[in-house]
Amino acid sequence: MVQNDHDFSIPTRQPSVAIGIILIKFVRMTVRAIWPLLLSFFIGRRAGSTFEDVVGYLVLGFAAFNLIGSILTYFRFYYYIKDNAIVLDKGVLKKTRTNIPFERIQTINFSQNLLHRLFNVVSVEIDSAGANKSEISIDALSKEEAIALREYIMAEKEQIINEIGTEEEKEISADKSPSELLLHLTPFDLLKVGVSQNHLRSMGIIFAFVFTTINELTNDIGDFLSDQFTQFESYAVHNTLFAFLFSAVLVIIISFLFSLGNSVLKYYDLKLWMGKNGLKLVRGLLNREEVTINKNKVQMVSWSTNPIRKFFKMYTLQIAQASSTEVNAQKSKINVPGSYKKQISRVINMVFPSEYLGTEVKHSISSAVKQRIVLFYGILPSLVSLSLWFLIEEAAFYFLLILPLSVFLGRAYYKKRSYEINEELIRSNSGIVGTENVLTQIHKIQAVKVKQSWYQRRKQLATIELYTAAGEMSIPFITLNEALQLENFILYRIETDKREWM
Amino acid sequence: MTNHFENLSVNPNELPGLEEIDFKPIDPNYLKVSLISSTLFFILLIGGAIAVLELGDIEEKLNGYIISMSSIVVLAAINITITILGFKKKQYALRQRDIIYTKGLIWSMRTTVPFNRIQHAELKQGPIERIYKINSLKLFTAGGQSSDLVIPGLPDKEALSMKDFVLKKTEEDGTERS
Repeated sequence: MVQNDHDFSIPTRQPSVAIGIILIKFVRMTVRAIWPLLLSFFIGRRAGSTFEDVVGYLVLGFAAFNLIGSILTYFRFYYYIKDNAIVLDKGVLKKTRTNIPFERIQTINFSQNLLHRLFNVVSVEIDSAGANKSEISIDALSKEEAIALREYIMAEKEQIINEIGTEEEKEISADKSPSELLLHLTPFDLLKVGVSQNHLRSMGIIFAFVFTTINELTNDIGDFLSDQFTQFESYAVHNTLFAFLFSAVLVIIISFLFSLGNSVLKYYDLKLWMGKNGLKLVRGLLNREEVTINKNKVQMVSWSTNPIRKFFKMYTLQIAQASSTEVNAQKSKINVPGSYKKQISRVINMVFPSEYLGTEVKHSISSAVKQRIVLFYGILPSLVSLSLWFLIEEAAFYFLLILPLSVFLGRAYYKKRSYEINEELIRSNSGIVGTENVLTQIHKIQAVKVKQSWYQRRKQLATIELYTAAGEMSIPFITLNEALQLENFILYRIETDKREWM
Repeated sequence: MTNHFENLSVNPNELPGLEEIDFKPIDPNYLKVSLISSTLFFILLIGGAIAVLELGDIEEKLNGYIISMSSIVVLAAINITITILGFKKKQYALRQRDIIYTKGLIWSMRTTVPFNRIQHAELKQGPIERIYKINSLKLFTAGGQSSDLVIPGLPDKEALSMKDFVLKKTEEDGTERS
């Protein structure tokens, strides 16, 4: 039924453009590892000392290593299909053969970076069920061939399952209902997403980048700063307020542009499709990535918002899938910013049994948490700053501002922190200026932890932590009695539930 | 106890609670092992401090010795007290369908892993543990590193039979499902 002009049984190399793509991947990896060295090479070249020469040779050596490495990798890489399994042969020094049977293949995803798009090729990722080493990837395949390969494998897999598979598996593979486009981020929505990003985080990233770079450039950051400051000193003394305002505005504008640009690059033309068995996500401007989310693998769904995003009535939806390797933990969390309430409830209704999704009683946590927050984020820091009085003198007073701030923090945290539970689901709500809600199915929990600090023991309070295969949920400062009941009930549900958690 | 959760089909108070479980302490040899390893650590620390003070050119050597040695002694005293007092808190229990481990003197913690969620089990033995013939049993779940259960201080024989028991239980509870 699949018309096939490609013969996949012959070991084939990737199209030759793969050399370039592998090379770029290698260079990126090296640069990421040794960029301070590279930077000092380019900065210090003018100095012309022997040390710089050594660095120069090292850089050249790395470049040559990368080039040869990528060419060899290319020539040693073959893929083919044999005995209902996809086989990859690779390895320059150590030859490896990876063999994944069709029935274990879960999803086949494509992604494209700029170079891929230029040459109309895609990189292919094959994700399989199983404990270790479950993911294999092909750096570059022509788009047409990749699609043919995916269709061929999926068709063969369906046939195998029809012959030997269980009822449930048959049901899943028989589903051919066309998926529905649930969400499409229009340029206007994308703009809203960019505007409502966490600009403070962008500011942090920029500061971190600037400081590490300066630190690498000049060995002594103190000297550098004092140099800079003495230059501006005479000017700044007379214009402190102006200079301060100017730099503050500049920092704000740069952070704003940075997060805006970042969102456009990452979320451009984001599309989320919903089928019967899962979701499919495509997004990105230069790197076009495609992610398939299998309904059964979803462990947690969370949705969060901040004041600006709330003004647009938008949420960030996060879907966390069970990942087979720790390395992929980050990749298994899929963020969909700019989702509206309606779309989130559609996703939740698909992933979790909808008969349990009614409203439940919100259990709040103990108000003792307020005092603890004031103590740890207000009183202790102010005591520290007061004890530094002899060093910083009147400036210590400014640090006392943290006291009212911590009171606000504690109240906001307490007000928003709550949890809900029923037979099937457990949901935690939190937030300080924004809100975050996390929802998971009880039988997907892997381990339960009850914790008590010395203070909590005195007050008969406890914190409960629930671990799933894609992240954890914690409910702090509830009464010990409540924590024990939760622990008992959750364990009972896990131990009596016969369903698969994945 | 009042029931906080009236919307649930089972009253959590009627489920077998933690009161009836008899927790087993771990092998006393584990205390010796932890004391030996912290002693070794502090000896290394003292050696390091002496090396720094002797080799580096520090002007007031005596002050340096007083400050560094007294802080190391204080640290060692705290560490040893916590190790000894905290040892009693390290207990485990095997129930019909799960395994529990408790620990922590100041921050107490109780982790429970149901058998049907265990991925695999492993015994580990360090060089000092080998002298005293004790093992650590490591149970891995899909919940990631922070939810993996490690029970230290199990005598060789007990550790092995416990690992077999856990694996058997894991298999039973796992196959029950399908």
